[in-house]
Amino acid sequence: MSAKSVTAKAAATTDAGDDAKAVQSTLWARFDHVVVPYILVSPFFLLFFVFGIFPIVYSGLIAFKTFRNENPAHRDGSSINVITRDRWIGFENFDNVLHDDFFWQALLNTFGIFLLSTIPQLFLALLLASLLNRKLRATLFYRVGILLPYVTPIVASSIVFVTFFSRDYGQANWLLSLFGVESTYGADQRIIDGLDWQSSWWTSWLAISIMVNWKWTAYNALLYLSAMQSIPKDVYEAAALDGASPWRQLWSITVPMIRPMVIFTVVLSTIGGLQLFAEPVQFDTNPATGNGGNQHQWRTVSQLIWKYGWIDDRFGHSGAMSWVLFIIVVMFAALNAFLTSKLGGGKR
Amino acid sequence: MKWTRTRAASALAVGTASALVLSACGDGGESPSVSHEPVTITVAYWGNFGFTEEAEGASLESVYEAAHPWVTLEMNTGEYGAQHDALTQALIAGSGAATVSAVDEGYITGFVAQAENFVNLLDLGAGQYKENYLGWKWDQAANADGTVVIGLGSDVGGMAMCYRADLFENAGLDNDRDAVSAAIGASWDDFISVGEEYVAATGKFFVDNATNILNPALTQLGTGYAYYDRNNDLDMNSVKPAFDIAIDVIDAGLSAGIGAWSPEWNAGFANGDFAVLACPAWMLGYIQGQISAEEFTGQWDIADIPGDGGNWGGSFYTIPKQGTANLQQEAYDFIEWIIQPDQQLKIMKETGNLPSQKSILESDAVSEFTNEFFNNAPYGEIFAKTVIDIPAAIYYAPNNGAIRTAVETVLNDVQAGNTPLADAWDAAVEAAQAADA
Repeated sequence: MSAKSVTAKAAATTDAGDDAKAVQSTLWARFDHVVVPYILVSPFFLLFFVFGIFPIVYSGLIAFKTFRNENPAHRDGSSINVITRDRWIGFENFDNVLHDDFFWQALLNTFGIFLLSTIPQLFLALLLASLLNRKLRATLFYRVGILLPYVTPIVASSIVFVTFFSRDYGQANWLLSLFGVESTYGADQRIIDGLDWQSSWWTSWLAISIMVNWKWTAYNALLYLSAMQSIPKDVYEAAALDGASPWRQLWSITVPMIRPMVIFTVVLSTIGGLQLFAEPVQFDTNPATGNGGNQHQWRTVSQLIWKYGWIDDRFGHSGAMSWVLFIIVVMFAALNAFLTSKLGGGKR
Repeated sequence: MKWTRTRAASALAVGTASALVLSACGDGGESPSVSHEPVTITVAYWGNFGFTEEAEGASLESVYEAAHPWVTLEMNTGEYGAQHDALTQALIAGSGAATVSAVDEGYITGFVAQAENFVNLLDLGAGQYKENYLGWKWDQAANADGTVVIGLGSDVGGMAMCYRADLFENAGLDNDRDAVSAAIGASWDDFISVGEEYVAATGKFFVDNATNILNPALTQLGTGYAYYDRNNDLDMNSVKPAFDIAIDVIDAGLSAGIGAWSPEWNAGFANGDFAVLACPAWMLGYIQGQISAEEFTGQWDIADIPGDGGNWGGSFYTIPKQGTANLQQEAYDFIEWIIQPDQQLKIMKETGNLPSQKSILESDAVSEFTNEFFNNAPYGEIFAKTVIDIPAAIYYAPNNGAIRTAVETVLNDVQAGNTPLADAWDAAVEAAQAADA
């Protein structure tokens, strides 16, 4: 663009006789310098506004209003299907959220699944990265190969996992049956091979955690790997000369030296883990119910927000819950970043 | 699942389907020489409405497009509950509803209550079909004094009990259709005794899921409503008899406890994980969709439902009052075409959906129709009688869907062994009250 404006200016100076044209050209030049850059970056900001800023602000607004769909003909038989959205009700929605047993249950589920998924995931990623950081044959093949789960669409992989963990014909239960694992199922306590993954809280949390780990481990591993490659090799050589084992090298050299990346992944996993949505939704027998299990034993907060908003049409409640979740995520991500910064005895 | 049938494809379909077109056009098909604005009609539905079946060489929508070249039909299929939620939200938003939106009987009351958001089909001349329809079916989509009608019936859910004849035989039970009807048809208690024999003989399960016992039993309560009374007050006590039947089935060890509509349920049709399934007419098409015709033709058969006849499900075509008057007229023309006997019978033969017009139900085409896949069961004889003599439809309050999901969830939890049988009823009441809020 600037090249164009330079030629425009040049044209203006050589053809000084034509005043009108010159004025036009300088106007264009100014426009080109001042406005065009904004036009060029605007698509990002427009999208960011529509899908980022606007929902945040608007959900904040409706969280303070009676924004819900009044059930048509409810109770008195005469009312009309209207959405009441005009009345400000202060913190009533937030109060309701904090007194909503389903919310606390969902929060417990979310943290449970988060802990089961994030901790093993980051450790595995670290080990995977340190393996890939060595001299291997076909390094590129492995480095690209482990990224496959990350590029698989989440809904597609979830559907495969639901089949994998299904009660009667699932491969997971077939694997368990090879080791003689059996469990009782149903009102009549009949014995089935493996587990009914959906029926109890810990099996469902485990199954969902495995889905999450499968998807994100390699992604974190690649982030660690990129950080590891900037560690000078002579540090390791010196450590090896002093007799440090590979394990010791990992914890005393690698981890402290990639600490910024570890903090980054911990914060990112915290945000992602506490907002977990697609996997628990897909794990339901009928995803459209938003049940998260018969006793809602794996329903996460995000899933509950979606159910309140889009199935029950209680948008105010849903908006308030979104903000509560947001605050929890920010606090917890900050806490984790702080804790991680202490990792390996490091000082800041 | 959105797709559009192109003009080219429609043109191709003309040749093969011309005979059908000629007979089908009747009053609905106008001469193409009259100039029409090109319109796109979106049709929202779930399950199987007979649209994308390709039997007889042409789908219904391509036949219609061929006869009405200015019309493009866009089919939008989705999950049952989600489609109704989406319609509710589109009506609130004032835009975004499908031009023709299918509505199930379980949701129709909530939409009749906001009839101002729908085109009154009487204004477009639907009144002429009133006499054709089953009286109770027509009334479901009409307001109290009958001056507004928001939907024309597609199908009704006459009830029967589908069973695996081959599995009955393996269990040493009489698998003849009449014998099975005689053994289970009188009451649910009889049904449970037969089930106990089956389980004792085979060690396998008889019923897919207790929720598919609860739902037909709800239609037989005799109160005329389910969960909510006609003042829309939650009345769980009146539901208890139906719930108890479902609990008895679990208690007798008959239920496989497989979540309805899940992949395992789908697999169970072929694998013999259950031997019977409560079959509203619309279920037939679903069963056929899960198993291979070569292998299973004649293995599933149809007997009477235990207890009284009744209706479970069945839907309406509605036109939300959005878009131009011309578009609404075009949408009505499409609905008017689809409810004509030729199309209704075609849908019946392909999907098993039972027409909701009395005039069609009483015709020879229905009463003489036997379903080859279901061991040549006398389809018309079995299903038509269950819906023709019903005095009034079951009343489903606007919030019915949420309560139904909550109670089904409790039953599934009982079947998984997490809630003891003795606590099931209290848990169901508690879940229903929570969903009522």
